[in-house]
Amino acid sequence: MRILVIEDDAETAGYLAAGLKEEGHNVSCAPNGRDGLFLAASEEFDLAIVDRMLPEMDGLTLVTALRAAKVETPVLFLTTMAGVDDRITGLNAGADDYLVKPFAFGELAARVAALGRRPRKTVTETSFRVADLELDLLTRTVRRGGKEILLQPREFSLLEYLMRHAGHIVTRTMLLENVWDYHFDPRTNIVESHLSRLRAKVDKGYKVELIHTVRGSGYCLRA
Amino acid sequence: MPRFLTTWSFRLTLLYAGLFTASVMLLFGVIYWSALDYAVQDETDEINVEFHAVVDEANLAGYGQLPTIIANHLRQRAGTRVAYLLEDSSGRKIVGNIDALPPREGSMAVSLKSDEKHRKLQAHFYRLPNGDFLLIGEDSFALNEMKELIARAFGTSAVITLLLAIVGGVIVSTSVLRRVESVARTSDAIIAGDLSQRVPVQGSGDEFDHLASSVNAMLDRIEDLMRSMRQVSTDIAHDLRTPLTRLRQRLELSRRQNHSVEQLHDALTESTKQVDSILETFGALLRIAQIEAGQSATLHGSIDLSSLLENIVADFVPAAEDRGQILAADIQPGLNVTADRVLMTQMVVNLLENALRHTEPCTLVTLRAADDGAGLTVSVSDTGPGIPLAERENVLRPFYRLEASRTTEGSGLGFSLVAAIAKRHGATLRLSDNTPGLRVTLQFPHLAAA
Repeated sequence: MRILVIEDDAETAGYLAAGLKEEGHNVSCAPNGRDGLFLAASEEFDLAIVDRMLPEMDGLTLVTALRAAKVETPVLFLTTMAGVDDRITGLNAGADDYLVKPFAFGELAARVAALGRRPRKTVTETSFRVADLELDLLTRTVRRGGKEILLQPREFSLLEYLMRHAGHIVTRTMLLENVWDYHFDPRTNIVESHLSRLRAKVDKGYKVELIHTVRGSGYCLRA
Repeated sequence: MPRFLTTWSFRLTLLYAGLFTASVMLLFGVIYWSALDYAVQDETDEINVEFHAVVDEANLAGYGQLPTIIANHLRQRAGTRVAYLLEDSSGRKIVGNIDALPPREGSMAVSLKSDEKHRKLQAHFYRLPNGDFLLIGEDSFALNEMKELIARAFGTSAVITLLLAIVGGVIVSTSVLRRVESVARTSDAIIAGDLSQRVPVQGSGDEFDHLASSVNAMLDRIEDLMRSMRQVSTDIAHDLRTPLTRLRQRLELSRRQNHSVEQLHDALTESTKQVDSILETFGALLRIAQIEAGQSATLHGSIDLSSLLENIVADFVPAAEDRGQILAADIQPGLNVTADRVLMTQMVVNLLENALRHTEPCTLVTLRAADDGAGLTVSVSDTGPGIPLAERENVLRPFYRLEASRTTEGSGLGFSLVAAIAKRHGATLRLSDNTPGLRVTLQFPHLAAA
């Protein structure tokens, strides 16, 4: 992916660029808001990673301006501002995701992958399919190999998220934020508990295991 | 210039004094002129009586006899201070004991030379039917005396009033000033560093006492905040030093000793985890500070508490089961409360996790929520080891860890966060014995239950 990193701290920018390049992405950098806005508006990028506090023009203003100029590039906010209200403000300005510093690089990588894949057109999927596993959002049913699997509401949401990001790594934090709407880290691993139960229902007894745990990173649903 | 002269209260007093004195003067003026008027009238009546007497005699004896009549009256009344003057229409004196005066009708004051002194007399000039003018004057000594008396009384009163007003003003303003100064002095002492100073309250219940009480209440709050801030700073310094020291030691050790690449890799991974843990503690501290400062603005909505709690329980049941514990719920349906959804979630999750984490397998953890009419109560109870009565105050302090749980995971901030969120919602937090185990109860004020 072509990624634009708008970050004024040289060390952080270097860290991001190096890490993303290792993941195989094409990275450009801008050291302040003004240059960043110019680049984002004039060139095509698959994703922009924007620091909230920037010289010359702060991140919030930048994203607002970008959206006003009808630039649809997905934006990920990177920030030390961790308040709930800060997150809401950031997302309301037009950003697509919000990550608090410091973060594990794996977290960033997973979110970058998730954002890059986001369809820019507003096509709403009503069903997902991976191998012989089907999930229908309209009837709220799940079938594997034609046989219906009964899931608890939370398990259903969890599977839906995994299938939406099928083939890509999904971190624990991403699941907590998107499936549970918990924006803090409960020390108890409720994600793991729910996932093991989901696995028991979806994978157990089937030849092919679909839900995988990727050590140190997160989970992935793929054939 | 003495300080009190510049005070508002003195100026105000001066204004009132001025107004009061002016009213007194006005009153006196009215009395004076009324009395004067009466006296003059009285005198004029006497003169009229005398005049009529003379005229009656003249009518009887004929107007030609008038000079004689007048002379008679003069003689009769010798010794008293009287004035008679008869003139013709051209002003020529016919008879009388004073010099000629320009003839015209009306009242006037005349001067009589008597005993080498000039006396003032009240007189009236009459026009006679025959064209002559007759002036009769009576002693106005009494009148003059009265005028003088009143004037003097008036003057004295005015001076006394003014003096009293000024003295009163000084007294009032200095006493007011003293009260104000006491507030200022207390403030100075506090600024200088002694936060325990308070403004003296006199107990009279007046505006100054009210002001003093309010200022004192504010100072109590400030002292409270400063104390807790100092406490937290001390706690932070103390409790974050430990993990940071450990981290440093590990890193230094790894560097000094010869390790394989893999061992170094592991050491780095461990160290990163420790750094994460420290950052999490900082994050929690910041969160608590934000909550205590009231930064989360979204407190004004009413949320469906029953659903929220049921969802949380559903989220944690699997985790509890995995630990061999039972999580049960007894939630009254249809409960609503004015609260911040995110904070409430975090608070309840914290309490549940505390219960799950600090108890052994085969423990029963129960989440209850009910509105018994007196208020909304949410409680989390467990059948674990509980917290000894002596320690129950302490666990709410940031970083405090019971000896028993020093080794378990966690920053020791869980309860502090719960306490901060509870306070923000106006709810009271109570720790009690679940016999066995611990019961944590949150009591929401009746008004919060929507």
